[in-house]
Amino acid sequence: MRTLILIALSILLLPLVVRPAIATEIWIFAIFGLGLNLLLGYTGMLSFGQSTFFGSAAYVAGWLLKHYGINVLAALGIGVGVGALSALLVGYLCVQRSGLYFIMLTFALNQLFYFIAYQWTTVTGGEDGMPGIPRPVLLGLDFQDPLMYYAFVVVLFLASLWLMKRIVESPLGKILQAIRENEVRAEAVGYHVPRFKLLAFVLAGAFSGLAGVLYAMLFGIVPLEAIGFVFSGNVVFATLIGGSGSLYGPIIGSFVFIWLSESVSTMWARWPLLLGVAFVIVVLFLRGGVVEAWTRFWTWRSSKQTG
Amino acid sequence: MALLETDRLSKSFGALTAVNAVTLRVEAGTLHSIIGPNGAGKTTLFNLLTGTFPPSSGRILLDQKEITGTPAARIAHLGLARSYQRTTVFPAFSLLDNVWVAAFATSRSWNGLLFRPTHKYPEVLERARAALDDVGLLNKANQLAREISHGEQRQLELALALAAAPRVLLLDEPAAGLSPDETRKMVALVRALKGRYTIVLIEHKIDIIMSVSDRISVMHFGSLIAEGTPEEIQKNPEVRRAYLGGVAA
Repeated sequence: MRTLILIALSILLLPLVVRPAIATEIWIFAIFGLGLNLLLGYTGMLSFGQSTFFGSAAYVAGWLLKHYGINVLAALGIGVGVGALSALLVGYLCVQRSGLYFIMLTFALNQLFYFIAYQWTTVTGGEDGMPGIPRPVLLGLDFQDPLMYYAFVVVLFLASLWLMKRIVESPLGKILQAIRENEVRAEAVGYHVPRFKLLAFVLAGAFSGLAGVLYAMLFGIVPLEAIGFVFSGNVVFATLIGGSGSLYGPIIGSFVFIWLSESVSTMWARWPLLLGVAFVIVVLFLRGGVVEAWTRFWTWRSSKQTG
Repeated sequence: MALLETDRLSKSFGALTAVNAVTLRVEAGTLHSIIGPNGAGKTTLFNLLTGTFPPSSGRILLDQKEITGTPAARIAHLGLARSYQRTTVFPAFSLLDNVWVAAFATSRSWNGLLFRPTHKYPEVLERARAALDDVGLLNKANQLAREISHGEQRQLELALALAAAPRVLLLDEPAAGLSPDETRKMVALVRALKGRYTIVLIEHKIDIIMSVSDRISVMHFGSLIAEGTPEEIQKNPEVRRAYLGGVAA
């Protein structure tokens, strides 16, 4: 309940505090993080290639929006589909390996997609990006109005959060966590581990794809960075800082990360330094990220009150 | 009638033949023990039976049907469940969640796999609780697996196998690392399971074996060197030389 109130409050207050574009980006990045965390937090798979699915969806849906004027809902559907499909392809190759090899494979395949986008300038615009992506009117709602688009993204974010909550509380969520806890035993009790990892990968890819399309429509452009490894690293960073052990961790991570990179960066060029410090603190003292700090604070407070 | 059989089953790792032409018949409803010195190939035999890796040659039959080469994840669905010599549980899960995951795997359908909340599977929950009850851990259902004692973890290890509602239980040294007291408890547990399941038991502690087994097979350097009732095994001179008498004999 407290979490829901917090989310509702931040949805309402955020556009008052920062520019609507930044507020919107925060929720989009949170959807991206929700997807990654199904892999990182729940299944224990560190994917360093999530921008593959984010970027692919952004390019494909962006291209169709720009040249064929497809409807917004179709663009979202296609984005989710491209995200899931590219994740199926990449995931199929990656889940055959585990540990460091898995991480390197996700990274290498990300680079492969990056260079395709870099070279294929007639479609992607290469280094210049793919500009001119419209935000078509949907059912009379004019998404050119930044607040209207913000509301639209928030609705999709809430739907994603609800969906992800259902997934992690379903048997699949339990099975993925069981794989994280003990792969050998999960296999022995009757789960074909690679198949479940692939399923997690595809689901995460679908969320990334949704985020990718929303991102393309937000900025009207798909920059080459949207499919680059730095972007993949950012979502891992944000999720770890927020807390990979919790469903809500990536949301907080997205707040911290986007706010630092968009707001603080204009005041202080060396802002990544703050990110580095935050990361070191998380790794050394707070493996559960901000979420853990929060719960620790509340246990400390209630113990002081009773004691 | 033999429920589980192997026919000249072998496994080689390079030049080492860990399991050498083992032909074994486990009768339905019996407790069949496999004994042998360290490195005799007992655990490798279990790994072959449960599909951890395929055999180099030979066949495995369950209920007269060949299951040789069936991958590990399929084996549980065929009714073969194992416990591990080294505790292999889900540490951050509550005891109930541990057995719940195992019970769900072999539940009749996976309907709602992606969306139905886990608490809406009454039949799975019931089987999970029954498995915990069978090993005497139901009163600790909500504790985390990493927070219970080693002895209790060994009991949980057993419960994970039971939760799959298997036809054949393969127990790999259930009493490994237990104190005399805990060992007695474990023996009582295994004895209580006897008759309800067909059990194949690997054990080092010879007194346990002699008191609970219906039949005993003796492995030595990967081969079966004897099989019989506990009395027959105790009298067998070759077994005494290889195992019971130890190196000194």
